[in-house]
Amino acid sequence: MSNDAGISVQEEAAESDLRPSFHHALDQVRAEIAKLGATVTENIPRATEILLSQDLEGAEYMILADDAIDAASIDLEDRCYSLLALQAPVASDLRQVVAALRIIAEVERSADLTTNLCKAARRIYGHDLDPKLRGIIQKMGDQATQLFKEATESYLSSDAARAAAIDDMDGYLDGLQREFVQAIFESHQMTKIDLQVAVQLAIVARFYERIGDHAVNIGERTQFVVTGWVREQMGAVRHATRQAASDID
Amino acid sequence: MTIAIAAISCALAGITIGLIIARRLGDTTRATPATQAALQPERPAPPWPDYVQVLDQLPIGIVIVAPDRATVYRNPWATTFGGTHAGVLLDAMMEPLLEQALVGEHARQVLELYGPPRRSIAVASSPLPGGGALASIQDESERRRIDAVRTDFVANISHELKTPVGALAVLAETLVGETDPEVIDRVAERMVEDAHRAARTIDDLLELAGIEMGEALVRERVDVADVIAESISRARQIGEQRNIHVEVLDIPKGAAVVGDRRQLVSALGNLVENAVKYSEPGGEVQVRVRADDGFMEMMVADRGIGIPARDHDRIFERFYRVDRARSRDTGGTGLGLSIVRHVADNHGGEVLVSSREGEGSTFVLRIPTSSRVEALRQQGVRQ
Repeated sequence: MSNDAGISVQEEAAESDLRPSFHHALDQVRAEIAKLGATVTENIPRATEILLSQDLEGAEYMILADDAIDAASIDLEDRCYSLLALQAPVASDLRQVVAALRIIAEVERSADLTTNLCKAARRIYGHDLDPKLRGIIQKMGDQATQLFKEATESYLSSDAARAAAIDDMDGYLDGLQREFVQAIFESHQMTKIDLQVAVQLAIVARFYERIGDHAVNIGERTQFVVTGWVREQMGAVRHATRQAASDID
Repeated sequence: MTIAIAAISCALAGITIGLIIARRLGDTTRATPATQAALQPERPAPPWPDYVQVLDQLPIGIVIVAPDRATVYRNPWATTFGGTHAGVLLDAMMEPLLEQALVGEHARQVLELYGPPRRSIAVASSPLPGGGALASIQDESERRRIDAVRTDFVANISHELKTPVGALAVLAETLVGETDPEVIDRVAERMVEDAHRAARTIDDLLELAGIEMGEALVRERVDVADVIAESISRARQIGEQRNIHVEVLDIPKGAAVVGDRRQLVSALGNLVENAVKYSEPGGEVQVRVRADDGFMEMMVADRGIGIPARDHDRIFERFYRVDRARSRDTGGTGLGLSIVRHVADNHGGEVLVSSREGEGSTFVLRIPTSSRVEALRQQGVRQ
């Protein structure tokens, strides 16, 4: 019942595998993470629809269902710790486990953000939004879904090139967020929405933007698993340059 | 149709699975009656197809697992989701279902994918004679959509017809014994309005019924420029009221299609009317024509309120409303787009929509050109 990617990883491992049980456990962890990622990928359009159609029942259901995701991610984290402690993996195996730990956290946090969208749906219940705002919410939802889908699928197939493209896609989502904030100001100025709703909507935009950032992080970790290379953090680079300059003084 | 396929596939699967599992386990002593039947020498070899190849061709997904839970067979359809997030979710759902089947229970579950587009994928698992289990995967999205159309139609038609008739009854009751001329005037006015509303709905229904039955489609050469001019004049009054400018851009010289002039005007007129109704006052509507590979594309674009993504594939249904509260003000009957779609179908064309809420909508009516129709006729293809 394993997917294509899973089979090829297993076959590869079988050829020269000295630690079959370790790699089996690792494959299982990867499969579970992919499952969690796929669930969140589905939850984003679902939360968007709940938000736009003001579906309180759906919101309640999704908020409750988040507990299962939390439980699954805690369990996965535990399994990673056991692998580290009992198997002491090295090289690419170590990268796999460390990256898995980071990715679990990113996925879990993204799931929380989708439930936050549902909570926002409860808070703006009964307020009509004008078509322009609704249109941008739909776009942000579509884009965030696409980003998370790419993140999940590139992790599933260990595709570094695909993972690298996620960062560029995120630029579009950031642009949408700015456009949305502008639209909120306009809508509020024309007194179509009150201040309370305006603030809630600004937070909604932030949720989508954050989901996109988590997808980018998952992409970076996937690249790290495959290539062993972490994209240079701009902040870290600036810090190093300043540090070097002050040494000269 | 799908039920028949499922039934055939199950029967086939029953035979094949026996074969596959027996082959895999190298265990011929426990062969089931089905296996034995399949291995009978008197069964004609070719032209009987290899059953695995038959399973490969099925338009539904088939997954077979051996008693030790290992997957022994998966047909191409069942692997179409491989590597995608939907595939991951499908596998996750299938696993417990197959577990249940392995202990002898039948199980079934539906996976709802929010898309877009929205999809419903049903997985049913059943135990196999001689051990092992079978899961069949079917895309039920279309069937569910049709079910929804059917139930909504009944609810909507009663709403559309009952509301004005009910209003008429109440207003008439008010008039009984009323002496104040001012009140009588006001109530009578409302009655006229509601009577017109009911009449419009019935007119549109009759027109739609006629078009749906493909009633005596006239086939003549129709000039596209004429159709557009006539369609726009239909929407002129509302356009002037709302101060909306309808602009016609570049019509290719001598652009013509073959079809029923009245129906085409009705279809395009509906599109222009909608564009005008759903534009902000003072806005602009564009009508454009483009020849594209044997088709004439008539585009009507507005920058109005737009249509939510989830409604895109449902707006062509009879009486479907995106926003019921708003549709009251626009005075539409809810049948316009349904008429457009049927006219397009009757002419061997189609109608397409692209729309974003808050940005506007573009509808494209694609009708084959006279030269294409002629070419097809010469090839002996009946339109």
